[in-house]
Amino acid sequence: MKASVDVQHPRRRRSAQIAVLALVLTVAVSGCSAEAQRGFLPGYDDGQVTNMTERITSLWTGSWIAALAVGVLTWGLIIWSVAVYRKRRDDDTLPVQLRYHVPLEIMYVILPILMIGVLYFYTQRDVSAIVDTSKEPDVTVQVWGKRWSWDFNYLDSNVWESGEHVVDVGEPGNPETLPTLYLPVDKRVEIQLDSRDVIHSFWVPAFLFKRDMIPGRESSFQIIPEREGTYAGKCAELCGENHSGMLFNVKVVSQAEYDQHMVDLEAAGQTGVQGADLNPSDKPSAVIEEN
Amino acid sequence: MAVHLDPTVSAAPVRRRSLGSQVIRWVTSTDHKTIGYMYLITSFVFFMIAGLMALLIRAELFEPGMQLVSKDQYNQLFTMHGTIMLLLFATPLFAGFANIIMPLQIGAPDVAFPRLNMFAYWLYLFGGLIAVSGFLTPAGAASFGWFAYAPLSNAVNSPGLGGDLWVFGLALGGFGTILGAVNFITTILTMRAPGMTMFRMPIFTWNTLVTSLLILMAFPPLAAALFALGADRRLGAQVFNAENGGAILWQHLFWFFGHPEVYIIALPFFGIVTEILPVFARKPIFGYKGLIYATIAIGALSVTVWAHHMYVTGAVLLPFFALMTMLIAVPTGVKYFNWIGTIWRGAITFETPMLWAIGFLVSFLFGGLTGVILASPALDFHVSDTYFVVAHFHYVVFGTVVFAMFAGFYFWWPKFTGKMLNERLGKVHFWLLFVGFHTTFLIQHWLGVEGMPRRYADYMPEDGFTFFNQVSTVGAFLLAGSTLPFLWNVYITTKRAPKVTVDDPWGYGASLEWATSCPPPRHNFTSLPRIRSERPAFDLHHPEVAAMDHVEPDPGVLDWEADRRGEQVGARDASANGESQPEQSSTIIVDDMPQTDADDAGEDKR
Repeated sequence: MKASVDVQHPRRRRSAQIAVLALVLTVAVSGCSAEAQRGFLPGYDDGQVTNMTERITSLWTGSWIAALAVGVLTWGLIIWSVAVYRKRRDDDTLPVQLRYHVPLEIMYVILPILMIGVLYFYTQRDVSAIVDTSKEPDVTVQVWGKRWSWDFNYLDSNVWESGEHVVDVGEPGNPETLPTLYLPVDKRVEIQLDSRDVIHSFWVPAFLFKRDMIPGRESSFQIIPEREGTYAGKCAELCGENHSGMLFNVKVVSQAEYDQHMVDLEAAGQTGVQGADLNPSDKPSAVIEEN
Repeated sequence: MAVHLDPTVSAAPVRRRSLGSQVIRWVTSTDHKTIGYMYLITSFVFFMIAGLMALLIRAELFEPGMQLVSKDQYNQLFTMHGTIMLLLFATPLFAGFANIIMPLQIGAPDVAFPRLNMFAYWLYLFGGLIAVSGFLTPAGAASFGWFAYAPLSNAVNSPGLGGDLWVFGLALGGFGTILGAVNFITTILTMRAPGMTMFRMPIFTWNTLVTSLLILMAFPPLAAALFALGADRRLGAQVFNAENGGAILWQHLFWFFGHPEVYIIALPFFGIVTEILPVFARKPIFGYKGLIYATIAIGALSVTVWAHHMYVTGAVLLPFFALMTMLIAVPTGVKYFNWIGTIWRGAITFETPMLWAIGFLVSFLFGGLTGVILASPALDFHVSDTYFVVAHFHYVVFGTVVFAMFAGFYFWWPKFTGKMLNERLGKVHFWLLFVGFHTTFLIQHWLGVEGMPRRYADYMPEDGFTFFNQVSTVGAFLLAGSTLPFLWNVYITTKRAPKVTVDDPWGYGASLEWATSCPPPRHNFTSLPRIRSERPAFDLHHPEVAAMDHVEPDPGVLDWEADRRGEQVGARDASANGESQPEQSSTIIVDDMPQTDADDAGEDKR
């Protein structure tokens, strides 16, 4: 081992070691599972779930690489200090009592600002794309949150579906029984959100997006589903006792299957909309009088 | 002058007090230290109670299905866990440390308003008991989450006395916090010892000041919001009626309190760590003023970022709040590099307080990194309200408050009680907690990213969350178990540990609390050393270093207080007339003291 140390440049060996380590790390990161390459975000190898997921995933992984680089540097400095600047048993001299190093301090004010600037730039670019609702949608679905399930109004087809909450969440077999939102693939879908009672949150983890459903405040977003499949949906804002049972599925299907589902709903007599008239009237004053 | 009183002899002879008289002495006390101990003990009891709640929560999540508690009880548990940990543990823990340490650090005999201080404690205790007493009501405690979002928290959606007790108990306790903050600010501004300029104050005292200012900004809006919610619940008011935008109004009011609150419970604990690092690295703080400016910057930014909790509502100006939130990373980074600069090229020893401080540095960093990720709305949309946020939050808050709390306990225990906690048990405690903490919370990042929402009492076996939850639960029990060696340590230390007879058992303490006995006398100091730098106690105990090390940076416009020349004339006269006490030289600083025979004699004695 010792023979390989370059006597003239003892540091070379260390830098060689660092290079090898970096190479191993790069291979490990790039070579490991597709999951890790997505930064463990939900996703599939055979295509993007919506028109936004690729954008979000790349911002996510990019931000993580930057964050972990900062983290590794900082952890490295801490561990280095701990390992190298231990007080030696026989050494009782105090270290140099350094108090300030202004150029260094200015440097670590400026550098983070630059890094933040980069993150902010890409964040702004992506956020404005994600929340953009200016385009004309092909399909509009109105989703009502209610304690503790969902009403889907397919506004263009004038049909609806209504769900009930899951009681025994921990029992196997629930996913097949959940209310299901059908969306046609490759069509621009606008989801309009509202709530009948308390705040809920419409979250499809595979879409990498959620939006709160706030009573008295309609809100909407647009996506283009790009991959056919069934995805889990959940309520992500605490809404009371059966919050964990407020589940649903999203089925992204071909236009033909979607049309068929609309016909089925119509055949089941579920025409019209489940509107605001179904909201429970909760006037706190009435409760006070009861008390 | 020749007689040097031994502090252990001069202290009042040890009398055994009966339990009753001890209790009376404590509950009627206006001594800032005693009140501080009461704060620490009470908040630690709350910490253990809320910790047990967390264990129930984690045990329930061990596998799909409801095994231990009902869903409503589960909601009560996480609601009260969050409420207790933030408002009845972390915030009053700050009040405890600040009460005991801050007056000592500025060389004051007590706080500015001792009776207000006592009143604030009792408001906290009874407010806290009222909030928690919901568990004794038929419908159980509040179950709407610790941020009590309207309209879930109204009387229709969450009926029951538990919610009312929560609202009014917290409002009452909040006044204790506000009054405490008034007290700390006044004490720091008016009761510093001569020579203790603002830019010589220890960082912990600085952080206490900034924290108290934040409390004055954050807690009154909370009190207002709580009273309005109480009026909605009990009096039929309609302040947070969703039809009139009440849902978002509550969120704005709550988070205008809630975000600064995070810094209210973080800054003082940053301060504790900043006190500990230089002592065990045997170096002064690196970039002292930079640290102070960073603290002020964090305080200022922290009131401009509240709506980052509301990205997913679609009701806030994303670019503004995203930018402000990201900017907080800058002063926090400055702090980090100053901490590293403090230990860089030091002579570091790893006594238990230092171990906890390093544990804080390593753990909190990850919370900071995920914080920057969460600051980006594009990324927050996916992970908001998931276990990713739970994990982030615990890295930030547990990593700061609990690590620094134990750091502070081990560090100041000799100052509190006159006895050193056992080092070996302290290290067992640290490593158990460190491993337990990371096992519990690291894996929750993956849970959240893969799709587990927070506050779910149950999950489906098909979700694939079971194994990760089991790891987290095992870690939580390890984490909770680490408290046992600590309690045992406190017990055997009380029973067996020898008395500390020196002012500074660590040897390199910097701030003034290390220049008085362990524990300090009723009014803290029998004499004060000269305060000529940020490290008066260090200068006192290591005069040879202080002599070499007297390079004062240019005072600058912000350090105008350092100029104390106006007092020189009177001081010289007093010295010449023999009225002054030269050995208690900090009373007034005299640059060139007139030499007298008495002085020379005093010098010789040393």
